[in-house]
Amino acid sequence: MRRLGGLWELIVAAALVPVAFLVPHLVGDFRLFQLATVAVYFVAILGLAILTGWSGQISLGHGAFMAIGAYTSAILVFHHQWTDWLTIPVAGVVAGVAGLLMGIPALRLSGLYLALVTFALAVSVPSLIKKWESQTGGSSGLFLNLHSNAWLYRTTWIVAAILYVAAWLMLRGKFGRALRAVRDSEIAAASSGINLALVKTVAFGISAFYAGVAGSLLAITAAYVNPNSFPVTLSIYLLVGLVVGSLGGLLPLLLGAAFIEYVQVYASKLAPEKPGLPTLVFGAALILAVFAVSAIRPLVDRWHTVREQRGPAAVEET
Amino acid sequence: MRALATTVGALACALALAVGATGATKADPGVGATTIKIGGTVPLSGVASAYRAVAVGAAAYFKYWNDTNGGVNKRKIEYVYLDDAYDPSKTVEQTRRLIQEEQVFAVFNSLGTEHNLAVRPLLNQAKVPQVFVASGALSFGRDYRSNPWTIGFLPTYVAEGTIYGKYLRATKPKSKIAVLYQDDDYGKELIRGLKKGLAGRGRIVAQQGYDVAASDVNSQVARLKSSRANVFMVFATPKFAIQAFIQANKLGWRPQMFVNQVSSASNVMKIIQSSAAPLASNALSIGFVKDPTDPRFKKDPAIKLYNRVMAKYAPGADVKDVYHVYAMAVAREFINALAHAGNPPTRAALMRAVTHMNDKKNPFLYPGVTVKTTPQARFPISQAQVIRWRGGHWNAVGKLVSARG
Repeated sequence: MRRLGGLWELIVAAALVPVAFLVPHLVGDFRLFQLATVAVYFVAILGLAILTGWSGQISLGHGAFMAIGAYTSAILVFHHQWTDWLTIPVAGVVAGVAGLLMGIPALRLSGLYLALVTFALAVSVPSLIKKWESQTGGSSGLFLNLHSNAWLYRTTWIVAAILYVAAWLMLRGKFGRALRAVRDSEIAAASSGINLALVKTVAFGISAFYAGVAGSLLAITAAYVNPNSFPVTLSIYLLVGLVVGSLGGLLPLLLGAAFIEYVQVYASKLAPEKPGLPTLVFGAALILAVFAVSAIRPLVDRWHTVREQRGPAAVEET
Repeated sequence: MRALATTVGALACALALAVGATGATKADPGVGATTIKIGGTVPLSGVASAYRAVAVGAAAYFKYWNDTNGGVNKRKIEYVYLDDAYDPSKTVEQTRRLIQEEQVFAVFNSLGTEHNLAVRPLLNQAKVPQVFVASGALSFGRDYRSNPWTIGFLPTYVAEGTIYGKYLRATKPKSKIAVLYQDDDYGKELIRGLKKGLAGRGRIVAQQGYDVAASDVNSQVARLKSSRANVFMVFATPKFAIQAFIQANKLGWRPQMFVNQVSSASNVMKIIQSSAAPLASNALSIGFVKDPTDPRFKKDPAIKLYNRVMAKYAPGADVKDVYHVYAMAVAREFINALAHAGNPPTRAALMRAVTHMNDKKNPFLYPGVTVKTTPQARFPISQAQVIRWRGGHWNAVGKLVSARG
């Protein structure tokens, strides 16, 4: 997480593009739907990486921003007859504004306290949704249009690719450096002329924008939104995905996204008769994954260090 | 070269036509020579995982039926149930898996109101039967014009509320009623039914909703107590219902209790009795499924069969859980319907069968309860019995009553 993969990462990502085009010809129809869900998680985790990975602010409330994005899309489609994919940027902006607002109190809080406040957001949003029943449909939820799995796969991955490249560019530039400076030492950052308040708030806003887009995509893939689709566990799962995918750079976050999608599904398939076992299996898989990550991380870091020593081209930080 | 290409092209076309032609008479998905595959979703993990029993009991009964009767029309029933963690988005994903990957013949006994609402458009568009939805929401039986492939099973929540209202109107017309309800469609439909049944008699002096994600209902119960009501309706799932009884007891409140059917299983009532005995005794509810812990049914052949099936096909599951009996009741009705859905069965014929049911002998339901549907009345169970908790078990009050609408 601490390092941005640099140019090589973008090259690997570019190499994945033809694979993405081939996949629909290779796998079954339903797999495409699952992969679309992975794209949704990927976008959300990208957002969380910008906030938690780069600016060092912990959020346990990204499920709430996803809910805001999802409901923005659903309300525009259900009540105002918008075309669903056109609502994706709007959902991002609405959630982004909510994120900016959240970023203001976040300035005064850090670490555990910030985690708690964002957690409160995750807890309260499902109830808030039920309050405005005339717009949100309350607990009955709202319906969107049904799409084929292939359409969902294309749409989600195109959006994910665009947002991935945007994040890569953003974090590589001046803003990314400012974020990392703030994370590593606020005092040092401030004394080198970085506007702490601005950088932290904007990071919150951008991160929430990503979560909002992910929420919108989730609404479009499920073709249905409901307050129960945004439980507190969703926010926690996103953090899990971030940790599992934190091998350095943005691309490994794909692993984190795949982890939350597939491990959840297969854990519950293992022993459907035994109460509580699926949750236990998920927990065990999580512990194993974290161990694996902490085992692999030093190798990745080491590789980076070796590369930096060799060539001046590597402009990595610290 | 070109001639060759034309020939190959023509052959390919002919082949495609031939395949298309045989495709037309092909059986519906999920129907094999010796098997028929059906599926459903249920929370196996997360807050509502206690409802797993609704799938586990049905799976056990299908296995028993396959072993003793060779399935239906010599096709063994293969029932795939998947975890949705009680999250409607996951229900959508798992249901897509059932119809697109598992290629099930029908979606059966999926659990939860919002969860079934979430997949109803998908299933109706794909013309996949969504049968015997495990939810009492009115919509699954009522909105068949826009959703011809969907049918419920339980008495509706509105009907249940109506029974309580009518009972109060007949026995205590001047009662002052306090209501604790889950703040969603399920809770609100119960209140709607209650008002309908009261028909202006008796007053609802206070109502308090709670969120399904809440940790407790203590403050709601305190506020309800201050209304000085003498009847307390608990429209809540088991965990919250138990809390409501305990809290009301702690506050020294002694109203006539009503507990909705969802929480009236004997094992839940026994917990209530152990910590809020004065309120548990004389509590009222409705029933329609035989309770395995009820001494009335101790020698009942259906409960004996139930115990045998559970011991053999679901070892380790809690046999005291009435949801397992419910599951067998619904599995039996599915077997009945499938037997009338043609050989080989088709999806359309299955829908015809489930909308023309008339089974007076479902052994897992209270004696006298008829499972009956017509294409315009899609409420399979529309009778119930008012029951009173006394002496550590439920007792019938009066006769079976209608639970329609």
